[in-house]
Amino acid sequence: MTIALISFAILLLLIVVLRIPLAFAMALVGVVGFAWLSGLGFDNLTTFRWHGALAMASSRVISTAQEYSLSVIPLFILMGNLVTRSGLSHELYRASHAFLGHFRGGLSMATVVACGGFSAICGSSLATAATMAKVAMPPMRKYGYDDSLASASIAAGGTLGILIPPSVILVIYGLLTESSIRELFAAGFIPGMLGILLYLAAVRYIVWRHPERGPAGERTTWPERVQALKQVRGILGLFILVMGGIYLGVFTPTEAAGIGAGGAFVIALMRRSLNLPVLFELVSDTGRTTAMLFSVVIGALIFSNFITRAGLPEDLLALVTGLGVSPMMVIFVILLIYVLLGMVFESLSMLLLTVPVFFPLVQSLGFDPVWFGIVVVVVTEISLITPPVGMNVFVLSAVLPDVKTGTIFRGITPFWCADILRLVLITSVSWISLVLPRLLYS
Amino acid sequence: ATEMRVATWLPPTHPQNTDVLPTWGKWIEEATEGRVTLKLEYNMGHPKDMFALVEDGVVDASWTFHGYVPGRFRLTQIVEQPGLGADAEAASVAYWRVYEKYFTKANEHDGLELMGLFTHAPGQIQTANPISSLADLRGMKIRLGGGIQGELGGRMEVTPVNAPASKVYEMMQQGVIDGTFLPVCEQKTLRLSEVAPNLTLLPGGMYLGSFAIFANPDFLDSLDPKDKEAIMKVSGEKLSQMAGQVWDQCGVDALKASREAGVNVVEVGQNDPMAKQFQTLSEGMDKVWIQSVSDLDVDAEKALQELRDTARNYKPNVAAN
Amino acid sequence: MAWLAFLLEALAGSILLALVLLTCVDVFGRYFFGNAVDGATEMTEIALAIIVFAEIPVITWRGTHVVIDVLDGVFGRWVKGLETLSAVLISAMLYLLGDTVMGQAARALRRNVTTEYLHLPVGDIIQYIGIMCWLTAACTLSWGIYRIFMRREQHS
Ligand code: NA
Ligand code: NA
Repeated sequence: MTIALISFAILLLLIVVLRIPLAFAMALVGVVGFAWLSGLGFDNLTTFRWHGALAMASSRVISTAQEYSLSVIPLFILMGNLVTRSGLSHELYRASHAFLGHFRGGLSMATVVACGGFSAICGSSLATAATMAKVAMPPMRKYGYDDSLASASIAAGGTLGILIPPSVILVIYGLLTESSIRELFAAGFIPGMLGILLYLAAVRYIVWRHPERGPAGERTTWPERVQALKQVRGILGLFILVMGGIYLGVFTPTEAAGIGAGGAFVIALMRRSLNLPVLFELVSDTGRTTAMLFSVVIGALIFSNFITRAGLPEDLLALVTGLGVSPMMVIFVILLIYVLLGMVFESLSMLLLTVPVFFPLVQSLGFDPVWFGIVVVVVTEISLITPPVGMNVFVLSAVLPDVKTGTIFRGITPFWCADILRLVLITSVSWISLVLPRLLYS
Repeated sequence: ATEMRVATWLPPTHPQNTDVLPTWGKWIEEATEGRVTLKLEYNMGHPKDMFALVEDGVVDASWTFHGYVPGRFRLTQIVEQPGLGADAEAASVAYWRVYEKYFTKANEHDGLELMGLFTHAPGQIQTANPISSLADLRGMKIRLGGGIQGELGGRMEVTPVNAPASKVYEMMQQGVIDGTFLPVCEQKTLRLSEVAPNLTLLPGGMYLGSFAIFANPDFLDSLDPKDKEAIMKVSGEKLSQMAGQVWDQCGVDALKASREAGVNVVEVGQNDPMAKQFQTLSEGMDKVWIQSVSDLDVDAEKALQELRDTARNYKPNVAAN
Repeated sequence: MAWLAFLLEALAGSILLALVLLTCVDVFGRYFFGNAVDGATEMTEIALAIIVFAEIPVITWRGTHVVIDVLDGVFGRWVKGLETLSAVLISAMLYLLGDTVMGQAARALRRNVTTEYLHLPVGDIIQYIGIMCWLTAACTLSWGIYRIFMRREQHS
């Protein structure tokens, strides 16, 4: 346990103080730690045979880069990029606006709903937040919405991206824990819907306390609403193609990503939104994001090899069993740690750092891995909007340079509370996440 | 005590991890009077990485399926050839003896110390819908592993779908595939009884799958010579036999459970048309294999004959443990 | 360097589009014509390795890896020296890693390891990964040196 904790502290030092890229820091600590456990010491630094530790790392590098189930990562990212480029996200917002815009705070509600819809085809929260910021911020400003409410609803709505399937984070969780990705996707659906409802409630609460922050817009007529609904058929069609194909057994969830990207490509072509430079920009952006994600995953796997060899999972289990508290109590302690870590980390790093440590413990306590995956993703989502490091907030302030991060954080508190409420619900009522996968797949 | 770290894969509940490796560990501990103990390590990587992990000393020993590393292991296909007509225990014992006698000099397991060789119980046809003839398989989407299964699938003119065995449940249930070739044991370990409720058992099965258990030579040399000798004594044929036995038992248990769960089990008789069809279909595959290893300096034909004789005449003695 | 990055990105991009096409053709063929693409899984895996390892040197060179920047501004200039030191350390690790990967590639080639269905030499793709590890080591070093002379960027 001591070795694992010391190395964890060193890792934090490397990434927080020295600002070493997470991937490299995890790989470095993993390799050196592994070597340490194989007999490396201060006296034999030069004569030590590094081959074992390096071979461990290189086998992770070689096989993770060729891991079939991870092929969904570039493909889902590409799908999201193509869809945004074709202007589908604009239409999605217009449609939700048509139905909700005339309520007080209605544009914020429309933003949350549109974020949820966009999440159904985009696998990443950051991408969801960045996209919807460009789409939803201008109209909210036009109607005199307070910047803090407007931006907070985008930042919070964006977190839905990794819970409502497809989700890059759930795929990575599935890989790290060898749980079924299809069941994880199904399990994320209802908690995602619950998230939308609670965010809507948070908006209602804000405009009830401060009516001036979210004035009502004009009512849209029914013919206009029908018109707006018609425009979302592109995005709806894509969603039905991807999810329907999986459900009907035409293709696997892994293949669904390729089909979705293909469908998005066809839509982009039909709308004439592609030319060669644009295409190049889209695919190379996808490639860069992919490489970034893969390098942290490889780093985390190397680090987890070391953590396992150091015996941390067994020690943790012994410690917890020794405490004599109920398994549910253990889960809540883990969640508390997550919320605390969430102040410093963004979602992916947090998932990669902690799942290798906590998952074996949770599994040995007899909890459902799919349920734990959803719980972890929800708590990870919270980290995206928890100060001081809330990645969604940062992305937003990068996309909207004139909005200060402080303003966004100020507006986010009600949404954050809604998230905590949802976390408690999902943790204590496992039915919420497990009913759908059980219904569909068993 | 020295810890012998054995990298393993498949879920912790699989008989390989609950029976084979722990029993081997118990033998080792007894034989070395507790100076060497065995520790299982999970999640070390893909099964195909196990050879390299052991060779590079990341772990001390491991086991894996030869078919994951095609090209390197060609002689090991000897035991996979259709028509052996033996269970896993008989096949594993014969396999170990014949491989030691004829193929060791070809040095396929270069860089590793071979501790045991075994096969899974015979591969059988597991489908969503019942089949009454091998011709029914034509055009069906069947998940196939590589090597011998690919060849069989080709001769049956199925639509081959390649995917790891662990994905079969998902793909069956969704209807992405209509069936698979796998040992009966997987009805239980992969929960296939739920999604492939039609089990067609050809007499002696269609093919076998070759596995090795191996250790790092430097690790063994680092031990006291008498401990190394003690370990070798509880490995080899003894280990191979026990592994085969466990994998057979898994199939027996799984078949019983599947029957209770209402799986439609069709046992094809030796003289039934389907058995004859299969014989005709698989004819000459052994010749193809012998031809494919003709560049190696080994007598493959004689080895295959001896393997068949040994396996078919094998009488299980009292359980090794 | 810029043209090399462009070439690598172009490579990754075209392979990515080919991957989309491959999946679509495979699924279509299997569903409508009962005829899947042979070795689609293997081709997907190889394509993935090409995409990822074409881009890793590029993002390293551009310094766009995931970094945690909570405490930026808390520490003074001396941290920059440590950053350079760590860049040297990481680049050494990547170099040694590349070396090990190349060793594994040579071994796979010597033993004729091939893929399961298409029988492509596995050693070649491992060799590509090894070379890209070396290139990433060089990029890390250049990034570390660059950091000495440049002001710390605000956010990445
Ligand atoms: Na999503
Ligand atoms: Na955070």
